[in-house]
This record gives sequence, structure tokens and C-alpha cells, in this order.
Amino acid sequence: MREHLTNLWPQVAPLVAAADRPSRYIDHEFGAVRKPDADFRFCMVYPDTYELGQPNQALRILVNAVNARPHLAAERGFIPAPDMCDALRREGLPIFSMESCAPFGEFDVIGFTLAHELVATNVLEALDLAGIPLRATDRAEDDPIIVAGGPCAYNPEPFYLFIDAFSIGEGEEAVPDALELIRQLRLQGASRADILRALAAQDGWYVPSLYRLRDEAAAQQAGSWLEPAQPGVPDTVVKRIYEGFATSPGWEPCVVPYAEVVHDRLSVEVLRGCARGCRFCQAGMMYRPVRERSVRNIVESVKAGLAHTGYDEVSLTSLSSTDHSRIAQVLEQLNCAFAGTGTRISLPSQRLDSFGVDMAGLVAGQKKGGLTFAPEAGTQRLRNVINKNVTEDDLFAAIDAAFAAGWRRCKLYFMIGLPTETDEDVKGIASLAQRAYDRAKKAVPPEQRGNIRMSVSAALFVPKAQTPFQWDGQIPPEEARRRAHLLRDSVKYKAVDVHWHDPATSFVEAVMSRGGRLAAEWVETAWKRGARFDAWTEHFNEQAWRDAADEVGLDVEAVAQTSYEPGYVMPWAHISTGASARWLAKERYRAAEEITTPDCTFGACSACGACPGLESGNVLAALRVAAGSNAVGDGVSAGPPEACDGAASNARPSRRNPYISLLAIEDDCAQENAVPEPHGFGEGGGPQ
Amino acid sequence: MTDPANFRLRVTFCKQGRLCMLSHLEIARALERAVRRAGLPYAISQGFSPHMKIAFGAALPVGVGGTCELFDLQLTRYVAPQKALAALQAASVADLMPSAARYIEHTAPAASVAFPKSTYLARLSALPEGGVVVPETVTVVRKKKEKTLAVGEYLLGELELALAADGDAGDASVVAQLRFKLESKPTGSLRPDVLLANCTDGAGNTLQAATITRVAQEA
Repeated sequence: MREHLTNLWPQVAPLVAAADRPSRYIDHEFGAVRKPDADFRFCMVYPDTYELGQPNQALRILVNAVNARPHLAAERGFIPAPDMCDALRREGLPIFSMESCAPFGEFDVIGFTLAHELVATNVLEALDLAGIPLRATDRAEDDPIIVAGGPCAYNPEPFYLFIDAFSIGEGEEAVPDALELIRQLRLQGASRADILRALAAQDGWYVPSLYRLRDEAAAQQAGSWLEPAQPGVPDTVVKRIYEGFATSPGWEPCVVPYAEVVHDRLSVEVLRGCARGCRFCQAGMMYRPVRERSVRNIVESVKAGLAHTGYDEVSLTSLSSTDHSRIAQVLEQLNCAFAGTGTRISLPSQRLDSFGVDMAGLVAGQKKGGLTFAPEAGTQRLRNVINKNVTEDDLFAAIDAAFAAGWRRCKLYFMIGLPTETDEDVKGIASLAQRAYDRAKKAVPPEQRGNIRMSVSAALFVPKAQTPFQWDGQIPPEEARRRAHLLRDSVKYKAVDVHWHDPATSFVEAVMSRGGRLAAEWVETAWKRGARFDAWTEHFNEQAWRDAADEVGLDVEAVAQTSYEPGYVMPWAHISTGASARWLAKERYRAAEEITTPDCTFGACSACGACPGLESGNVLAALRVAAGSNAVGDGVSAGPPEACDGAASNARPSRRNPYISLLAIEDDCAQENAVPEPHGFGEGGGPQ
Repeated sequence: MTDPANFRLRVTFCKQGRLCMLSHLEIARALERAVRRAGLPYAISQGFSPHMKIAFGAALPVGVGGTCELFDLQLTRYVAPQKALAALQAASVADLMPSAARYIEHTAPAASVAFPKSTYLARLSALPEGGVVVPETVTVVRKKKEKTLAVGEYLLGELELALAADGDAGDASVVAQLRFKLESKPTGSLRPDVLLANCTDGAGNTLQAATITRVAQEA
């Protein structure tokens, strides 16, 4: 623990002045928090540039959660853009935090959020720019402890060389608790090794250096590739969840950036988790169970957030916001509260089967940009395999509603290379998109038909750890290109555009998603050969990754493309989302038989194991009703929030699913959350 | 005020410190957000894409600060200027702080064109030996096209060089100040940072400007 942090600004300022977009580096935004009196400092790093990292929810949540504790201070960190990385190296300056402009190396703990597979080389770029040894085993007592979490921590092995400890699951409590523990141990003079052993004993923490790798036969026998090398280290690390999520306020302080960032708006998380059970989807497995916030909490949070930040747009975020049992009431109340103020309310994830005429009406007051729907597969057979549980009729009904309500652009997301996919399924994508276009044409007056745009975006399937499709190999890049060209050639309409992702990056994602410990050496070698900013098309360096595979002797094709029998023990078997490996295998068998599994938040428990395993359950604001109907309001748009939420108290938990509970008539946070009108000028603006 | 239904508030603010590095668009966005945080009853345009009725003064380049920058805000009802100012100040960060607010006639020219003459103060970290040599022309690249500007068309009067008092602007490395006035024309303008970058001392060395600040705007 250091006395104070060095302020690098005087040395950095000339470089910032000469850099592309200086506003990335200047800090001093409205809402940035400084805690100079704290004696234990944490730097929370998003391993990409400011524009991508600043809007990240995990960064905001964890910085706030850490700053809320006495003695602890959290700062933000990002990776400088390539021009600035080079300038820092040229001048011999280290990577720096935002608030104090201090070297990363002076922090007690550095946290990385591993948001996706392609950030791996940027983690190394940051460590190198910080002058911190890349490998955990090479670090000295005084070096910061490097922790990481986020989606990629569910298969942490490709990062195991670089990260001292992984936080598995939700970090609201796990991260500040761990920091307090480390601070205490540091004060007592504990060694780095002692601290890591103590962390490994905490729920939800995985310390890779405390495990030994088994060989394949032993791994299949034991059910895990990794064996604790010491007593007190768990065989399996089960994710932590934030039990208080549903009743915690949806508004919490945030930084308002100057630079134009990717999501430049207020975000309010309306619910966490999704139990639709799409078999390719990692998020749907790792955020279980489903927890909704109440209508009043959401509405008050939006009001407070807009008043505090000055944003003119709010996004109601979650994996599937239209699944919120009371989304219609939320939208009605927000539409009413912000009518005529120029405030936009956006719903980022529209499910096809819940976007009907009612939902179109509720979000129709807004400027109509493009709408995005994700049918994911072109035929009903394949949609049943992946458990998408939407039909062509759902798509057509959504298209009818959207284009009748005034939208003119629609983007359809699909995946190619899904397990069991045939050429018929690929051609089905083209056919579906063209028929969707025909429907759109019918819903639009003849003179406006020229404005209709339908675009098809096809991503290559990446098998994700902790999903029923984790055992399925990815199709080779050349086959992916063939199928993409088949799709392109099958689309006959000029008004339907087809785009697809570069299979070369999806291939690296698949190796990272499924790789074991050898993949970490591959990442390190690729970085040494120049790979960084892999998620940026213009910086992706395929050759570096290819050469690195040869150098470390990793058969990357085998890692990405081999299919295994469901039940085969994968390299991440020691990490648990709560959903059991047995259930994942069962889901994979059901996929082969084209049998769908319903969403447990609408009815019967599907026995994934998350609720009993995590000693938790789904928490809903009201009972969810059959698909689509959540969009039907109860006609109280002008009424006070109490009037709406009162209805929830009469509902009974489902008899068929013991793992559903309902929020109490109202949680208390609304009061704490309420914000007085600033300065007494009344409601923002009004039409003139 | 000729039209009582029209409350046009002209706000003066500074752009200083690190926030000199913000672009005009970033400043505009930050000010709009400050207005919303202040809870002022701002007017909203009617149309396909409703937005706040706010207009900004003449743009400053990235890296150049200002002590008397302007924006005009249309309000839907009267708020005492001092109250509006206090609310804006409470909602602003130190380096983008409003310092004055007054109502102006609705016929007054827009802040962006009303004050074409700008006075700049450059703080220099090295004393130019043998005075400052101003070039006759400056070549700039705009939209990939080269354009040659005659400095005399934009520069009003002489550049005034003065020794800086000790600890000028809290920065001991500043040894001299250079004051000059530029006029923007309907056809274009000469950026103060570009002019300085093209000036030399008597020995042909480029000037070392620590900061450049717009200190006055005139009609």
C-alpha cells in the first residue's frame, strides 16, 4: 500500500495534446469520483479504448461498489489507442489511470473485465505498458495483484498465466469484499502467496496457480482437468450472485463522458438474467436466475438518472428487456413522464415474440431508427435445435407491427455454422428475409415502399463454454465463407443487404472460448508477435495468431473445430455457473432431437440446477404471461406508480415452479432513490 | 425584451485546463447536458427530431481555451438571470464554468457570428530571441485540399510581445506572453494555433506556446 500515487499528467499532457481524440485521456468528466484519503487503491480496467470501455456497466458498477467502502478507492483504466500506446513507449511512460493519472503499477490491485475473447492481447498490452510482469509467477511482492472477471472468466484457462485470481460471477459484493480482505492481509504483512491462498478460500474466487493440470484420462475420470494442489482450495468454483439485485436501486452514479462513446446514454438495468434457454448463448446460462426490478424502482431510477446526468436518452438494458413482466407499465409511465421533453427511451433488445402492435405503440413515440430482431436461424427445424422458440409467424407479426407503426429499416441477426446446419437452413435465411421484406412492403403505403431497408447480418457460430453447444466444433473458416456466399447468392432482392463477420476473428474467438491452459501461451506469443486490439478489424493480425500457434505447438483447428460427445469433460469443468453439466448435456441431446425446452420464468422449472445450486431463485415483478402479452398495458399510463405496482400483490407464485418468487408490493428503494427537482425550475423543458 | 414570450439567455463560460482539449462538438454536448442537469425550462424544437434550442458561439480549436465563450439558450419562461446562472454553475464542472448570464433581444445576431474579432493570449515557454516573425501566408490543409491564407487578411494590428510576470497562470515555465487579434471572415478564418505554429523567432525557431486562450470577442 503506497503513501500516494504519482501524477503523470505533466509528462502525459503533451502526448495527449498530440494524440487522436485527446478527450479519451483527460478525465475530469462530470461524475468522476476521487477518494484521495483512501489507503488501498484499485484500478478497474476495461481492456479496450475509452469509447468502448467507459459505457461498460461492469466498470460503473464495480467502481461505485468499491468506492462505497471506507479505505478503498477505485479508479478507471482503459487501454490507450494504438497511437498513444506507441507514444507512451517512445517516451518511456507507463499506462495510467483516469482519475489520478497514476501509473497502473502503483495500485494495490488491478481488475480487468474480460468482456469478450478478443480482449486477451489487450490485457497483455496493458500489463506490459505498466511494466508489470506478464506472468503471475514472475511478479514480485510489491507488484499489484491482478484480478479479472466477466464472461470470459467462465473459461479462465486461456488467461491463467496472467491473472492472479478470477472473480467468477457477479462482482457487486465479491470484489469489494475481496479488496477488503487483501487490504487487511497487506496491513498484517501477509505475502502475495498468503493473500492468494486466502482469496481461493472465498466463494467465487479461482486462483489458477493453486491447481495442477491432470492428463486427459484422469480428467475424464475425475470430472475436471484441474486438481487442487493444496488443502483448502475448492474442486469447483461456483459463481457468486448479487442477491440484492432486484431490490437495489436501478440508478447509481455514473460518469458523463465528453468523448462520443459507443453507448452515449443513461442505462438502467431493468432485469438480470434470461431463462429463454437458447442453447448457443453463454449469457443466458451465466446470469441465471432471472431477477426483475420493480416498475417503481425502474421509473424512479430513470427520472433520477436523467436529472443527475443531463442525458436525453435512456436505455432500459438487460439481456431481454421485453421479457420483463411489467415492461408495458414501465414504458407507459416513462412515456407519460417524459412526453414533450425530447427524451428518448430505448429498448435495446426486442424479442420477436414480444414485439406486437402493443409494444410497437409503446416505443413508437420515439424517433424511429432501425429495429433489430434476432431469429438466429433460417428454418423452424434449426430454431428448434437451438431452442430459440420463435416462429416465422412471430417474425411476420413483429414486422407487420413495426412497419405499420412507422419503422422503415429492420436488421435481422442470424448465425451460420450452428450445430446440425445444412445448406437448406442457410437458404432458409435468405427466404425468411425476403418474405419479411414482402410483409414489410404490405404494411407500408405504396409511395413509401422505396424507403424500406431490410438487412441480414450473419455471424459465425462460436461454441461458448458453459452452454449446451460447448461440445460442438466450429465449422472451418473456408466452410463458413462458402456458406456466407451461399447465403449472399440466395438473396435475390436488391433491397435486402447481406453482411457477415470475418470468420478469421470468429476462429480466434472459438479457440479462446474452448481452449485450455496451452491457449494462454498462444495468447502471450501472439501478443509478442504484434497482436493487439483484435476486436478492431483494422488491427486484427491473423498472421500473428497463426505463427503463434505454430510456435507453441497448439493445434488451434482441433481446439476450435473438434466436436465431443455431450458429457465429455471440458477444460472449464471446475468453474460452475450453477447450471449443471448434466443438464447441459441433456439439453444437447434434446437439441439433436429438435425438442425445445420452455423458459422456466413463464412456467415449469426446467431443472438446470442454478436455483438450488446457488440457493437462489427467479424474482419477478409479476407473473410472466404467455409470450408477447407482457406488452399489453393495464391502461394506467397516467396513474401514479403505486397504482400499477399494487396489482402485483394479488398475483400468486406459480405452482408449477417453486423457484419463482414475486417482489413485495413495493421495495423501499424508491424512497431513497427519489430525487428532488433540481433548483425548483420544474420539469426540464416543454414544447414551445 | 420586445417579445415577452421569448426568453433568450446568453451565457458566458470558460474553457480551461484539461478541457481545452475538447472539440467544439464535445463542448456543445457537455453544455447541453449541463443545461438539463440545471433543470432550466429550456425550449425544444418541434419536428422530426426534437432537440434543445441552444446555439453556440464561434468554435475554438482543440487545445485552445477561452475566458469569455458564449452560448444562447431559449427558455420557455422567465427565470431570473442570477438564478439561472447559479443553477448552471451547480451543474457544471470547474473547467467549463459559466460566469455570467443575461437576456438578449430575440433579434440579436447569433453568438457564432456576432463577434468576428477574437483576441488571443499565447503563453510562451521560451522568449523569442529577436522578436516574433509573422509569415505573410500560411498554408493549411482542409478536406485534403491545400489552401493558402494571407495572414494580413485575418490578423488585426500587430502581435504584442510582453515578458510574463513570475508565475504567470500558476505556471513558472511561462516566460512571455503574446497577444494578437484575428478576424474571422464569412469565407473562412485563420486558427490561432496554426498562426503561432507558423511564426518564428528572429533565429527561425518555432515558438513554444504553453497555452493559447481566447480572452476577448468583439463585434
